[in-house]
Amino acid sequence: MIDFTLTKSQQAARDYAHQVALEEMRPISLECDRTEKIPESFFKNMQQRFWAGAAGQARMQAREENEKQENILSILSQEEMAWGDAGLSTAIPGPGLAAPPILSQGTPEQQMRFLGPYMDGQLHWGALALTEPGIGSDVAGMSTTAVLDGDEWVINGHKHYITNGARADLVVTFATVDKNLSREGIRPFVVPKGTPGFIVGRIEEKMGLRASQTAELIYENCRVPKDNLLSGRESSKKAGFKAAMGTLDATRPMVGVLAVGIARAAYETTREWVCEELPKGFPPQKRREIEDELEEFRQKIEMARFLVWRAAWMADRRIPNSKEASMSKAYAGELVMKVTAAAVRITAPGENSERKHFINKWFRDAKVFDIFEGTAQIQRLVIARRLFPEIDIP
Amino acid sequence: MLNFAPTEEQEEIRTLAHTLAVEQLRPEARSAEKRGGITLELMHTLMQTGITTPYPESLGGSGAIEAVTYALIAEELGFGDGGLAMNIIGSLMGPVAVLLAGDENQQGHYITPFSDEQEGYMRYGSFAFAEHTGGYSLEEISATARKEGEHYIVNGTKRDVIHGGHAHRRVVLLRLEGTTGTAGLVLLSIPGQPQGMHIVTDMEKLGLVAAPSVSFRFEHVAVPATDMLGQSGQSGVIRAATLYQILRAGVACGMARASLEYAMHYAKERIAFGRPIVSYQGIAFLVAEMAMKLDAARLLLWRAAASWDRGAEIDTLVREAATAQHQAIEIAKSATIDAVQILGGAGFMQDHPVEMWMRNAAAME
Repeated sequence: MIDFTLTKSQQAARDYAHQVALEEMRPISLECDRTEKIPESFFKNMQQRFWAGAAGQARMQAREENEKQENILSILSQEEMAWGDAGLSTAIPGPGLAAPPILSQGTPEQQMRFLGPYMDGQLHWGALALTEPGIGSDVAGMSTTAVLDGDEWVINGHKHYITNGARADLVVTFATVDKNLSREGIRPFVVPKGTPGFIVGRIEEKMGLRASQTAELIYENCRVPKDNLLSGRESSKKAGFKAAMGTLDATRPMVGVLAVGIARAAYETTREWVCEELPKGFPPQKRREIEDELEEFRQKIEMARFLVWRAAWMADRRIPNSKEASMSKAYAGELVMKVTAAAVRITAPGENSERKHFINKWFRDAKVFDIFEGTAQIQRLVIARRLFPEIDIP
Repeated sequence: MLNFAPTEEQEEIRTLAHTLAVEQLRPEARSAEKRGGITLELMHTLMQTGITTPYPESLGGSGAIEAVTYALIAEELGFGDGGLAMNIIGSLMGPVAVLLAGDENQQGHYITPFSDEQEGYMRYGSFAFAEHTGGYSLEEISATARKEGEHYIVNGTKRDVIHGGHAHRRVVLLRLEGTTGTAGLVLLSIPGQPQGMHIVTDMEKLGLVAAPSVSFRFEHVAVPATDMLGQSGQSGVIRAATLYQILRAGVACGMARASLEYAMHYAKERIAFGRPIVSYQGIAFLVAEMAMKLDAARLLLWRAAASWDRGAEIDTLVREAATAQHQAIEIAKSATIDAVQILGGAGFMQDHPVEMWMRNAAAME
């Protein structure tokens, strides 16, 4: 039965995340953006809030409810986190983007070995390394190689734009075992921090999401044990590529929901600005136009949110959702840019204020949501290919 | 609990509506446009399926209307043909309004003839919503009713009243004089054509020609107080009006889907420079965009309909139904225009239905 209401535990997860966003993120958001640094206390508080005590209990309780709902729970809290600060939300301790490929392609033993340590109460991060200089969505052209030498894989190559790359305890690294196999030669390897030959390069300076750490990673004869290859569930040749693409089907709605959170923050703050900071003598007709524009954004934010919810709901039910995942990401990524750009324009006439600083920041944060995890164009390509499976759309 | 899947029963009804749309409505669309109406044969066929009698069994119907189920039906009808879909729903909203807002006596009196197995299909209802000064928004309703003794005095205008010219009774959405917002909205079910009520037939319509419509002008029209549906201040008026918005949104989604699928089919078949035109990203991306926006609008519609079914608060209902209607019509307009673009010159010709759909979508405003 079609239903848009949340269960109590879903609402609780969302409310909790909202409180965290309000108390832990908004107060340090602008400062972290300026300095590109995050205070140690933030990590510790987040560790406390999400891995210990009540938060842990809430997770267990949610698991007990018979239906699988990990994706839904996750996107509900992620929207609130991004409403607080999308950059900070990427830095919350945990396996992060390393989790989806480990969960989907790891054996039970590998899942325990790699994800178990995240439960020890200490600060840990994880990362996913797919992108290379010159290689984005076209992963078939990947140049990082992995060669089996006795009991070890030897990895050589160069990755960049890796979120949490420098602080991750392990990096799921995609590499090709045979370039002739094109995308079917791609495999995911778990590379632990401190492995000889695993080198952290430069940390990027960015327009937005400045609190988020974006690192360059270099692999020089980096040797990992043979069983760090995630090949568990599927032994087919396509397993590695599927892991990479499956990760994207799971992460695209996540990225979409972050965009929804930022768009909502910008929408709400602009509305507050109109009520409280509109300059004296502002023409009433213009004010009405702004209010109409904001109402249109409110509706589109809801549509973006529902597209994300649907994609996550499908993921929880193991219904293939590539098309829907791409729709959610494409719609939200484009919308957040429109909303934040309009927010900058609408609030331009006012005095300098904290609201305007936030809006300027969100405008800078927004652009990347139309780019990473597949650009707007790539998303449309994915959607079109799903709509026309029998046609070759290059 | 979030859920994006219709029930099995709803899927069955949707399949039935889809079959009707493809086998009955789509082939009839052009001739219905030329004729400016629906045939009695089609009305009869529809009635036999129970789709046009969503009243409780006690009133001879096939079961009381539910918003999600009927939004699914409306989309299928709109997929078949927007003009015929609005013809059917425009008529349906008359008795449905009485069902939702009227008292038992009014329901029996007004609805039972629509369920009559012999003659019910020949009956038209009508529901007057939009005005010359605004659109299909509840807050904008400005035509008024004022109580004077045993009568209401009605003033104002109504536009695009489907079947308003020949309906046995005309249900009209009004506000009690002096009220604002949604609180003072009332429905009168007006018999015949009382003095001071002027009816002008819409001529040379842009679209939705298969749904014949008129304008009303009320100049101090006295309507017996007993023709008010229910009591003022009851939620039935809002539930009737928001249901109309929801069903209009359903038809609009159907129009958009028809255009999307038609354009997809064409883009696969049409070869240019040696390849199907959909293999070019200029076309492929446009189609992807149409599909994405349609899905987004449909989700808004489903949310509003689900709220209607669970009896959500009036404010929620008013906001969600208006939002769904607005966004669904937006995608109907853009998707039909894009479909004509994808067909190119052929889209401009009346050999293909997309030009009609483009006019129909624009006429939903």
